[in-house]
Amino acid sequence: MKFQIKRIIAQISILITANLGALGIKTGFCYPFFYCNACPAADAACPIRAIEKSVFQGSFAWKLFIYPFAILGTVGVISGRAVCGWGCPIGFLQRSTSPVSRKLRKYSLINKLGQHKIEPYLRYLKYVSVIGLAIITPYLIGFMFTDICPVGFLTGTIPISILNPGGYAPTSYFYPALVIFILFIILIFTVERGWCRYFCPVGAILAPFNKISFLHIKVNLEGCTHCHACSKICPMGIDVPTMNRSPECILCGKCIDQCPQSAISYEGFK
Amino acid sequence: MNKLLIIQICVFLLFSGTLGGMLAYTNVYEEVDSGITSVLCLSCIKLTPVTQLEFTFDVAKGQDHSGFVLDSLKEGPVFITYREDVCIACDEMEPIIQDIFSVYFEKEDTFSEVVPIDSSNITFVHINIDHATAEQRESRYIYDKDHIGGVPQFTIITLGYDRGFIKPYYATIYGTLNLNTDKERKELLTKIIYDGIDLYNQNIEGYDPNK
Repeated sequence: MKFQIKRIIAQISILITANLGALGIKTGFCYPFFYCNACPAADAACPIRAIEKSVFQGSFAWKLFIYPFAILGTVGVISGRAVCGWGCPIGFLQRSTSPVSRKLRKYSLINKLGQHKIEPYLRYLKYVSVIGLAIITPYLIGFMFTDICPVGFLTGTIPISILNPGGYAPTSYFYPALVIFILFIILIFTVERGWCRYFCPVGAILAPFNKISFLHIKVNLEGCTHCHACSKICPMGIDVPTMNRSPECILCGKCIDQCPQSAISYEGFK
Repeated sequence: MNKLLIIQICVFLLFSGTLGGMLAYTNVYEEVDSGITSVLCLSCIKLTPVTQLEFTFDVAKGQDHSGFVLDSLKEGPVFITYREDVCIACDEMEPIIQDIFSVYFEKEDTFSEVVPIDSSNITFVHINIDHATAEQRESRYIYDKDHIGGVPQFTIITLGYDRGFIKPYYATIYGTLNLNTDKERKELLTKIIYDGIDLYNQNIEGYDPNK
């Protein structure tokens, strides 16, 4: 079975597992990916919410601070960002929007934006989002990532509003969050995996683990004919033959399926 | 063994050991379950509940009133305010609560105190679900009549007449009460408290706590 078939099975299975709260199952774990605990069907906590809560307004609850890092670190050292590619429901959503963003690539403006020299630097925004909005601003002024989180809007605000019509009224953060949510939708339709590339705070925590994770993608350069089929198919826009455990790689395996020389493979405990 | 493998094993042991140790020797699992997963995060949804001020006898299905509530109900109505550590709406509402009851406390405090209001004794209970007992935390679900699941939640338990019996009768309101000013919020909370006192005084003579 090709990796992409296995991947869709994994993504559907994890989407169902992440939503067992619909059956009344609630746990004290943090998701090892980005998903909102305010979703009516959520069964675990958002790791970013736990981090924010631990440092809110000058406090420091060490257990709550370390716990999400321990979960993400354990998952990260085993499989790096594979959870982004194989498990994350928001990654799954972006997988479904990627055919549109690929088609839009032929329009020169979007193509130029994707290849602009500033683009690699934009990828650092996700580290700014996790340190700035999940740690520093909650600690100093009580402003949290979740106040404007588009994923909270998608998986929390919208379903709760549908399930309880007239039961809730907007807060002062609603309209700024709505604007950010609209930008999020535009982003994921115009840039393939745009959220993962530039903004995902959980991806930012997992990304450094790619450098040391047991599971990683290896390119056999001796077999590589430099056809660039792997780089063209890569949803994260990585130059695969030269990536060498790139923090951006989500280990989706598309490059492995695509390589005509079978020069790319998953490597495990080696 | 190469250097990378040693680093991988060390980092894996560090994180997995920390995780295992926290799950085994701390209450972080319960803290996350009761404080994040099971509480609707109003910041996450950027919404505040719109609730009706309405007394009811119906507690959450299959549950009884909390023991500590029934004990206090013998002396007068019970007013409970629920919050968690990180809750901006709770921070907005607590000065109003402190003003009404003339009781001063920190947000981490979980306690109860009998407060005289208008020649009646009302038991004021402040529950921070991040620092409360399991019974206190569970009571939030019992009185969550609109199944909101979020905090702040304000509940007053008094007495009411139901088909020949005097029984605990309660109302719950949520969030910033969907009102814009502290004055309006204080008026609504004061109204609900006085309604609770009136109902209690009307029904206390026929109340048998053992029935």
